[in-house]
Amino acid sequence: MERLHPRVRVVWSVGALVSALFVAAIVGAVAVFAPADAAYVGWLTLPYAVGVFVVFAALGVVFAVLRYRVFRFEVREDTVFIQRGVLTRVRTVVPYVRVQHVDTQRGPLERVVGLSTVVVYTAGSRGADVSIPGLTPERAEELQSSLRELAIESEPEDAV
Amino acid sequence: MKLHPLSVPYRALTKGVQLGWAAIFGIAVGSGSGAFVEYWPFVVAGVAVLALLGVGYQYLYYQRFSYELTADTLDIGSGVFARREREIPLRRVQNVDVTRNVLQRALGIATVNVETAGGGSTEAKLECVSAAEAERIQSEIRRLKKGTSAEEAAAEPEADVLYELDDSSLVAYSFLSFDPRVASGLVVVFPLLGPLAAALGIGGIRNGAAAAVLVVLVGLGLLVLVAGVWLASAAFRFVKFYGFRLRREGDDLRYERGLLNRYTGTIPLDKLQSVSVTENVLMRRFGYAGLAVETAGYAPGDAPSGGSEAAVPFAPRDDVVALAQTLEPFDSIELERPPSRARRRFAGRYSILAGVAVVAAYGAHAVWGVPFWWLSVALFPVAVAGGHYRWKHLGHQEQAGYAVTRSGFWSRATTVVPYYRLQTVVESQTVFQRRWNLASVVYDTAGSRRLAGGDATAHDVDETDATSLRDRAIDRLRESLGSE
Repeated sequence: MERLHPRVRVVWSVGALVSALFVAAIVGAVAVFAPADAAYVGWLTLPYAVGVFVVFAALGVVFAVLRYRVFRFEVREDTVFIQRGVLTRVRTVVPYVRVQHVDTQRGPLERVVGLSTVVVYTAGSRGADVSIPGLTPERAEELQSSLRELAIESEPEDAV
Repeated sequence: MKLHPLSVPYRALTKGVQLGWAAIFGIAVGSGSGAFVEYWPFVVAGVAVLALLGVGYQYLYYQRFSYELTADTLDIGSGVFARREREIPLRRVQNVDVTRNVLQRALGIATVNVETAGGGSTEAKLECVSAAEAERIQSEIRRLKKGTSAEEAAAEPEADVLYELDDSSLVAYSFLSFDPRVASGLVVVFPLLGPLAAALGIGGIRNGAAAAVLVVLVGLGLLVLVAGVWLASAAFRFVKFYGFRLRREGDDLRYERGLLNRYTGTIPLDKLQSVSVTENVLMRRFGYAGLAVETAGYAPGDAPSGGSEAAVPFAPRDDVVALAQTLEPFDSIELERPPSRARRRFAGRYSILAGVAVVAAYGAHAVWGVPFWWLSVALFPVAVAGGHYRWKHLGHQEQAGYAVTRSGFWSRATTVVPYYRLQTVVESQTVFQRRWNLASVVYDTAGSRRLAGGDATAHDVDETDATSLRDRAIDRLRESLGSE
């Protein structure tokens, strides 16, 4: 089974850091602007904001690492298999016959570290679930074109 | 062709009422109702001008709207200011729904909604045509889709009625089913509870006798409330499903229903993704069930035209299963329950919730002096029983061509999914399921079920069984495609 590029941990960690910063900024803003004698937030000071940031950031980084460890995918004879999820482990099997189209996406952060995401669409109600992040652009390109070919090779039967 | 001339006053009136409500509400909120009294001549003049403008606009809308049914398209030109010309290929048409509300029935007109595959919203809306014209459009589109000539269509035998809801069944159904939308109306009641309690002086009660009286009163009040909601729900159901009839016309199921507003709609069988036998706890007790079908891209019931959620709302369970088997020829349903450790898992999960509730009740007692907190301990046996019943109504079965899943105690759905309709197969395991070596398998189809039950899922199967279920499902999908 194939694993993701290790650098995807950086993408996920930075994403987690940004959201941790956002939460901490809200806590910090409350700490700075709230009146000191307010009953509920009077005790809240800037060190709490730092604490919130550290906790959220640590959690985010741990999750990023765990997500990387769990994520596997495999291009099989006539299906794609994907395993993911830290808390809820999800294993998805997508038959090529059901592939509607295949996208390659690159977010700003992914572009900086040079990675891509391949998204496989089906007509199913969980279609958007099937995405493979953390691929090198070459691998993403290759995966996209091979999936496209395999999807075309199998009968165009979408069962809709 | 043009719309029916009466659609001008009809549209002007309905749009006017909608806008009028918004305007009155806006003005009342913005300035207080005093503005109406003080400036009434201006208000009346303003309303008159707006009404004239509205009627004028609707007249132009009527003038500029035309439709034409050709051999293979439905062409519609519409728009007063921005013109829009559409050609809808008839083979893409999924449903033609006809709606008639009370006013429309009085005027002898109807709204026609044309739905196409893949879109959640209505593709074309003819508001309004005469009732006879609506009927004609519906049957003409069906005829043209099939490609038969007018003579052949006329020679076809009258469609056979698959199912009809007679009056006594309708009454039984009204009382045995429950419309969740009525319960949501209860939300209105909750904000009133606080002031009510204060007015009755409940906060001051300390001695035992008064508290006992209070408990009895609250209990009685709840009973009255439940009875009221139940009656309201029954009335809603009665009005909605009055005169329900399901017919089969070639590859379509066609239903009609409604006491005040009359709906007719079609369910295209060649787009059928799955069928479900649904029973709520009361219906199950008396041996009745309903049949829900799911089609691709469009689930009857969530379209703007407001179709029926059910192909059959209410019938004896065996009849429902037999009817479902005429749509999808599956074998008799003999389900396998999850392993008994799943029952322990659910009992444990609900006990945790009960524990949280007990802690909260004790906390409320400690902080605000709420009496009888220890009554909440009774939640633990309820949690264990809940776990048992949750488990009891889970199940799955693999048949030659179908996967069958069942879930739900209060409202139980037994869903039959043909393997050849599968889109993806998903095996999922939460942290807690991993502890018990259990997993769930989701059979995902192109259906658009948003209301009832969610996806067809075999819940809490043994881990290794789940993996083989998943792989076998894919194998069977492959086989069914190969054999076609």
